[in-house]
Amino acid sequence: MNISATTGKSKLRKAESRTAYLCLIPSILGLSIITYIPLIAVFILSFFSWKGFDTAKFVGIANYVRLFTKDPYFYDSIQATVSYAFMAVIGSMLWSLMIAMLLNRKVPARSFFRAVFYLPYVLPAMAVYLGWSWLYDYNHGFFNYIISVLGGSKVMFLDNANMIIPSLSMIAVWLSGNLIVIFIAGLQNVPRIYHEAAEIDGANGWQRFWNITLPCMTPIIFYNLLMALVTNLQVVTPALALTSGGPGNSTTFMSYLMYRYAFINNKLGYSCAISAVFFVLIGIFTGILFATSKSWIFYMGDDNE
Amino acid sequence: MSVSKANVSNMKNVFVVRRRKDKIFNVLAFCLLLVLTALVMFPIWWIFRSALMTNAELYAYPPTFLPYVWRFENFSATLEQFPFWMYLKNTFTIIAPSVFGAVITATMGGYAFARLRFRGKKFLFTLCVGSMLLPSMVTLVPLYIGWTRIANLSGTYWPLILPHFCGGGAFNIFLIRQFIMTVPRELDEAATIDGCGYFKILISIIIPAIKSAMIVVALLKFIELWNDLLQQVIYINYQKDFTIALGLSLFKGSLKSDWSKIMCATCMAFIPGVTFYIIGQKYLVEGIVMTGLKN
Amino acid sequence: MMKKMLALLLCAMMVFGLCASALAEDGAVHITYSYWGTPDEAASTQAVLDTYNASQNKIFVELLCIPNEQYTTKLQAMAVANEMPDCGIMNENGVLAFANAGLLADVSDMYEGKDSQPLDCVTFKNEGVTPVAFSGCNEILMMFYNKDMFDAAGVDYPPTKVEDAWTWEEFIDVSKKLTIDKNGLHPEDEGFDSENIVQYGCVVDNWTWQLEVWAQSNGGSWFSPDGKECLINSPEAIESIQKVADLTLVEHVMPLYLGLNDEGIIRSVASGTVAMATGGAWNIGTCMSSSGIDFGIGVLPKMKEAVTACTSGPQVVFSQSKHLAEAKEFIAWYTQEENSWNLIETGIWMPLLEKYYTQEEAIDTWLKDEEFPIKDYDMAKSVLVDYTLSSAKSACWYYTPNTNEFTDLLRSVLGAVWTGDQTAEQAITENFDALSDTITEDF
Repeated sequence: MNISATTGKSKLRKAESRTAYLCLIPSILGLSIITYIPLIAVFILSFFSWKGFDTAKFVGIANYVRLFTKDPYFYDSIQATVSYAFMAVIGSMLWSLMIAMLLNRKVPARSFFRAVFYLPYVLPAMAVYLGWSWLYDYNHGFFNYIISVLGGSKVMFLDNANMIIPSLSMIAVWLSGNLIVIFIAGLQNVPRIYHEAAEIDGANGWQRFWNITLPCMTPIIFYNLLMALVTNLQVVTPALALTSGGPGNSTTFMSYLMYRYAFINNKLGYSCAISAVFFVLIGIFTGILFATSKSWIFYMGDDNE
Repeated sequence: MSVSKANVSNMKNVFVVRRRKDKIFNVLAFCLLLVLTALVMFPIWWIFRSALMTNAELYAYPPTFLPYVWRFENFSATLEQFPFWMYLKNTFTIIAPSVFGAVITATMGGYAFARLRFRGKKFLFTLCVGSMLLPSMVTLVPLYIGWTRIANLSGTYWPLILPHFCGGGAFNIFLIRQFIMTVPRELDEAATIDGCGYFKILISIIIPAIKSAMIVVALLKFIELWNDLLQQVIYINYQKDFTIALGLSLFKGSLKSDWSKIMCATCMAFIPGVTFYIIGQKYLVEGIVMTGLKN
Repeated sequence: MMKKMLALLLCAMMVFGLCASALAEDGAVHITYSYWGTPDEAASTQAVLDTYNASQNKIFVELLCIPNEQYTTKLQAMAVANEMPDCGIMNENGVLAFANAGLLADVSDMYEGKDSQPLDCVTFKNEGVTPVAFSGCNEILMMFYNKDMFDAAGVDYPPTKVEDAWTWEEFIDVSKKLTIDKNGLHPEDEGFDSENIVQYGCVVDNWTWQLEVWAQSNGGSWFSPDGKECLINSPEAIESIQKVADLTLVEHVMPLYLGLNDEGIIRSVASGTVAMATGGAWNIGTCMSSSGIDFGIGVLPKMKEAVTACTSGPQVVFSQSKHLAEAKEFIAWYTQEENSWNLIETGIWMPLLEKYYTQEEAIDTWLKDEEFPIKDYDMAKSVLVDYTLSSAKSACWYYTPNTNEFTDLLRSVLGAVWTGDQTAEQAITENFDALSDTITEDF
């Protein structure tokens, strides 16, 4: 190894890292300006009372005090958010895993089916909720028609505070095409050889599902679960498109409450206090998920790379 | 000798039985899928048939599955009140540059993370993956203040477009990175020996090899923006700038709206997304399979 | 192949997207006028602006259409960004807050020296005293009904004279006669199937602000006259809400509505499923006249007193405008009835100035206009003119601040009342402190 070779190498190294930084400029900008700096700003703003068109007033923890002691929506909004996220995540995980399993078989017209189940996901959300509201309508809706034909009594899908979250979760399940695709991808990565070996050992389909497919899928399940949870906790579209937070406060999701305080009532500082609490809440949920993940995620040895 | 022969025939048996069983299961799965397809497609059908009805039929009890008369003229009547083409143009004015920016910057970021060595790589990558978990809702208000007060860009589409020129989202960077890692390193090493710079390698070797991943990113971005409502609600002020989603909400909220027309407008809003999806769906699954989202 | 098509499509939409339109410069002062409403209404407003723009070359007014539901939100957002329009209509519930925040320019001299003043009931007054803004027109609540359904049931039409107004009990009786289940039975009949009603008798719109009229009709009120005290927990106010809820829960004459949107008339009388419904006068022009239904209008029933509410968005000049004088000049022109006549003659607006309610000649130009959708002059005069003068009370936002927050909360509180999960008394008492706070608290 002579000197010129090493300087050549270090020059190359320099060029390499220069290129890297150049390539990363947009991402670094994005991470700082539109992700992490606003995050810090949320916490700072939450200590101010600010309408936006007046001067901001430092109020200490007054926003948090009002939030936890006086706010007429806050606890309802936590309940709405968590129960929606819970139902939507469980429902769409089960549904999409089932569809993915079915689509992983050698059935005819597989790509057609794949397209069908993904299709709802590409429809504009606003249109989806408008359409579904028609199906759910109490007075003229299709579902209630079916129920009354079957002899049941009408259900207030969207008008009853106890029914609206399950009803919206149904729509979320219907929209879960993205999870299906990722599950399909995961299933195709489950090594065929495991199944064949198990079959020779006489395992039936159910056993193979429990002992091979599911364990091999756990990393994917974890990923989907995590992403679905973070997405669904941030739910806001149904409230914007359809319910305006009602009936009662049953769909006043935290995101919607934030939106309403900030953009309808002009309480920018107060809204940031909600954001901060919201951030912590999501942190807790994902933290729990991560903490338990070690005990149930099965990593396939080193069959890759 | 005899033992192994028995084993072999046993194995054969197992596979014959399996194949037969598989076939039965496949038929069952097919039937089940047909039923589920009907279920999934039903709401779309319901919206479509509602679009073709008069309001009186729409409110009639009991409801009917098929319109008495297929009133396709409802669509042209709706177009008179619902400036679909303007909304479509506006929507694409936002989506097209955003998708473009996301694909380009995500590719650049993914390349740096996959191939290049530099100081702080691990740190930056952690920040990047970490931001995937960071709920974007949380930063809504500060970003709004930033775009309107500090950058002074309110009333324009920039607050909706520019963020996508900033890496295109952590997930997309990650996806591209995973893809690039499947491209054999020998290719760019050979190019290095030929004296190619790192940018040259990106453009002439990496990008051609990961085209399908870029299409996946484009599609995912398209769908994400297509589904967005909140950002548009916040940043777009006037009807002349409205996107399809906002146009629909205006149409619905307007006092004179009637539901058969709303359903017509809803149907129209479905079309562009579905078109793009049908063209690109082939890449979507393949692309995601290839990333091998394992870790 | 597919890849190429996709790339091509992407490129196409790029080009498509980048073709932004530009406006020609012509030397006039450009001001923006913001408006809420449907695309149809926007078209007729645009026609007015076109007339104005053509009539002089000093000021050019551009119309900015913002959806009704988001109107105040958007204005506030623009106020935050310091880029409000120069002038515009406003949502009523934001006026006092905007005035107090200094966002409205003083337009108090707008009607000085004019032959007629705006109706007092549609003048916004801080603490109920100081005028801060004028509405751009007038709207009152009334009853809309489907004549064919009344004829079929052999029931008299709703009264048009305030002295004949139905009592609440009479109103329920008539509604029962008009409510029919799938077997043709009425609610008082044996075996009536309340799960399968094909025609409902009535809708009392419970879009939140419209409920206040029933509290007043029942001898109560939501707020003190200076807008500083919340009185919604008074027995009269609570009882009035319960009575409206009972139309659905007990009497089965009204479909379930949660008051979540402003669609009472559209989803009821205009769609041909309900015999009569309460609603604002604008519905004459916005949906009834084109619904194809032979409809009539009448006065509201009364609980104790015959009352209707009146309201309408004010036409204001925003203080952030860089062209205050021009904006004011335009608004002064625009608020003259003659200049927005197409909105009045189609029945979307009722006139603002007193003379249209008191002077025969002015009334005739309005109600005898060829375009006016209601051809029955006596009916129109009695309900639109006499009723306004005798019974119209300002809606709460004319004198109470923060009614936006108030109605939001009230809407969510009342959700359980409409579905019968709570009584009005439980719901209001439980939430009274929070409701009361909304009009005073600043945080």
